Amino acid sequence: MRTQLELNIRRKGAMRGILTLGSLDPAFMGAEKVDGGSVVLDLRTVEFVEPAGLCGLAALLEFLISRSRLVGVRLSGHNVPAYLERMDFFRLFGHRIETNVDVSSLEERRRGSPGTLQELINFHSEEEIPGIINRISEILTNKDYRLRERAAICATLSEICANAVEHGRSPFGAYAAVQAYQHIVSGGRERRGEEVLVAIADGGVGVRETLSRNPKYAEAGTDNDALRHALQMGVSGTGEIGRGGGLAVVGQISARAGGSLSLRSGSGRITYYGDRTNSRNVPTFPGTFVRVSLPRIASSDQPLSKTRKPKAEN
Amino acid sequence: MISLNTVRIDPVAEEGREIFDVTSGEAGGRLMVTRGTGRRVREALGEVLERLPSGGVLYVDTRRVELMDYSFADEALGILASRVAGGEYGERRVVLVEEDRELLENVEASLRQRGLAMIRVDEPGAAPEIVGEVPEHLVETLRTIYDAGSITNADLAAKLGLNHTAMNNRATRLVKLGLIHRHKNTAAPGGRQYSYEGIA
Repeated sequence: MRTQLELNIRRKGAMRGILTLGSLDPAFMGAEKVDGGSVVLDLRTVEFVEPAGLCGLAALLEFLISRSRLVGVRLSGHNVPAYLERMDFFRLFGHRIETNVDVSSLEERRRGSPGTLQELINFHSEEEIPGIINRISEILTNKDYRLRERAAICATLSEICANAVEHGRSPFGAYAAVQAYQHIVSGGRERRGEEVLVAIADGGVGVRETLSRNPKYAEAGTDNDALRHALQMGVSGTGEIGRGGGLAVVGQISARAGGSLSLRSGSGRITYYGDRTNSRNVPTFPGTFVRVSLPRIASSDQPLSKTRKPKAEN
Repeated sequence: MISLNTVRIDPVAEEGREIFDVTSGEAGGRLMVTRGTGRRVREALGEVLERLPSGGVLYVDTRRVELMDYSFADEALGILASRVAGGEYGERRVVLVEEDRELLENVEASLRQRGLAMIRVDEPGAAPEIVGEVPEHLVETLRTIYDAGSITNADLAAKLGLNHTAMNNRATRLVKLGLIHRHKNTAAPGGRQYSYEGIA
């Protein structure tokens, strides 16, 4: 039996052609039905991949590979395959999936991507995190990020990486990716700046089950209820004092930067903006997905970078 | 943050005081992340602390650390403060050497979660401040002790308009939190009396 998985890629507007975590929802839903046969994931309408979409894709593929005889990924054009190659996607998945892309031709043209702060990386334990942080900190230093920006990005990444492997019990560990985009930062008057996106996905038990180990949250209600609890200071699965501060601090960091923190787990998805939290229901899928947006607004007394791009580019 | 407005000169030169630079040593570094790293740093701090004489003070210097995350701050400093407050290190105390910068927020968040506080100085000898949480009714007591340098229970009680027992209870709480030293003056008029002094 062959299953074709669809995506929800917008055809119009600012999000046109972008593979986000949300655009994977139809595939997450279809993936639950895959059992034994072959499966094809059609990414041909994708023009641009953002880190949360990339980490979500990695988690989806891990799930499909464990359940099917053959997993195929269809891509079109040059930019998306080239970007996926630069993000180490084919190094991690090339030998485990079938694609219509000639990866060897991409390798020859391989060059660094200016906005890539962390390629797609697979890790399994907390011991790997300091190395990941050291490396990204060095990249940020070389790109002249200020110490406080560097601290915000690194502390965010380390904290959500630690959550992923601590609560994970994930068959594939966790995937992370970090990308910076130069573009017009939305909101109010046109402000040129940059947005750093930090994304992580794991295949573990999810937030509701982790929290339910704490008797206080044993009846956590819906996945969205559990996600809202998890954002509060001091809420953790163990209930130990001092635990459960990491995610709350990440929420504060992103809100202070004018960004957001999104969590997807089970059938819940919430986005925290500091002054408000939005939530919606999504198709149930194992694991936890985190996306943090950290805008950097170029201050008016500072010369702006020459490369102004009207839209985010991979 | 509450300033305690006391400046004393070169306290670290005194015996029983030691500075530990968190960037040094086997577990040390400028990028301090994860509970695992925090645990190793705490163990290193604990070893130094145990070698100090009773009443000794360990200055934990994080000024050269570029960044720390909440997990590290809680594991290295939150749990250390909790063990000091739990009496694990006897009369030995810990002072944080750090400037008022964003990195401190993680330490603050951890200590507040734990209902604990530490004495912080910008540099050894500088004015002591509080990081974390001190119960409202104890802040004035703490400030008065630091202003005085050293003060007896009776003098403190007189200054704050409290009876001796109430005063003793409040100061005992601060002793247990690891924020002050307490000495017993056996030669005091009227017999045994406590006096208190700041740790930094």
